[in-house]
Amino acid sequence: MVQHHPPTDFLTEYAASALPVAQSACVAAHLSYCQRCRQAVERLEDIGGAHFERLDPQPVGDSLLERVLARLDDPQPLRYAPNEASDTQLPGLLDRLINGDYADLVWKRVTQSLSVSYLKTGDPNHEFALYRIAEGGRIPEHTHGGREMTLVLHGGFADESGDYHQGDFIVREGWDKHTPVALEGEECICLAVMDAPLQFTRLRHRWLNPLLKLHAG
Amino acid sequence: MAIRKDANGGAKWNAPTGRRTDEWSQALVLVGESQDRGAFTRFFRHFAPLIKAFALSGSSLSAAHADELVQEVMLKVWQKAGGFNPEKAAASTWVYTIARNCRTDMFRRLQKFDTQLAADDFELESEEEESFVVLHTRRGAERVRELMGELPPDQAQILAKVYMEGKSHSEAAAELDLPLGTVKSRVRLAIQKLQGMMEA
Repeated sequence: MVQHHPPTDFLTEYAASALPVAQSACVAAHLSYCQRCRQAVERLEDIGGAHFERLDPQPVGDSLLERVLARLDDPQPLRYAPNEASDTQLPGLLDRLINGDYADLVWKRVTQSLSVSYLKTGDPNHEFALYRIAEGGRIPEHTHGGREMTLVLHGGFADESGDYHQGDFIVREGWDKHTPVALEGEECICLAVMDAPLQFTRLRHRWLNPLLKLHAG
Repeated sequence: MAIRKDANGGAKWNAPTGRRTDEWSQALVLVGESQDRGAFTRFFRHFAPLIKAFALSGSSLSAAHADELVQEVMLKVWQKAGGFNPEKAAASTWVYTIARNCRTDMFRRLQKFDTQLAADDFELESEEEESFVVLHTRRGAERVRELMGELPPDQAQILAKVYMEGKSHSEAAAELDLPLGTVKSRVRLAIQKLQGMMEA
């Protein structure tokens, strides 16, 4: 049961297609776990529908109708087929970005219990990355230079403000300091979308900071 | 902003009759079930001018791109009509989501945005929802339309900017020369009001 949800601000911008693509993908992935937010988005889309039907109609010539009618029988473009062999049971969108299993990705080790894999969304301002924490492993205390959205994909973690499990969505602002620890029993994999790099705060981890420069794109 | 204005300059929010909404839902069902070109043509004549208005909202697309968007959206309407469920969504909301996705993709194409994701990839596969959920959703859609007119103009203006122009809260704040906090609180108040009234 998902306990932590995106704030209504984000859902509204999501429903209006006003979020950058990386953040939008993170919200979409949460929706695949969360019926409550799916319904909220449907209601927020109704607000869009109500505005849409009251727009001041702009003239459209009959030639445009003729052109559309002439193209109705064109073959439809091919759609992406989900990866049947994948055993990660990921939301379709992430399945597409990962294109295989977690093991197929390039993982970069940050500390003994933390590795990161950067995925490409094309978003020039946001990093879209998977973080993998070994069971019981700890991410050293850090802040974020900007805003971070996190979605738990597998396992769970705890930090100073609570416990998070599969499907939970967490937003952190730059000034929040926290020390996530993966729950016991299984490794934890999270999706994180950031607009500024992670910054370790403790002296003994700070030398790692240059390794974590933002990988947007 | 291309929302119809009344004599006092305020947006007009007359609630449409139930029959009108049903007419477009029925046309969509005919298109989906029997590829009815007559129903599609009626649907086109009503919605294409709205899609064009949507394309031109915020005037970031040229007239040529707006016409291209109308074509793309109406072709998608034809292809996807089979998946339209009149119990679950209002026809206007359904077309809005298609137009929104196509416009987002067009913006990204025009900005030479290198992404493998199309806005359609963000849509979840439709699934069977329990019937009480469906009833709630449908009633909600009708209520939103009725209640929109009860919002104060400053809240209505920002909602229109966010939804029709696809502007983020910070972009809306910059364009309206308002602090970001003001924009956020107006959107939040408007949404709360609509949700509160929907549940009442």
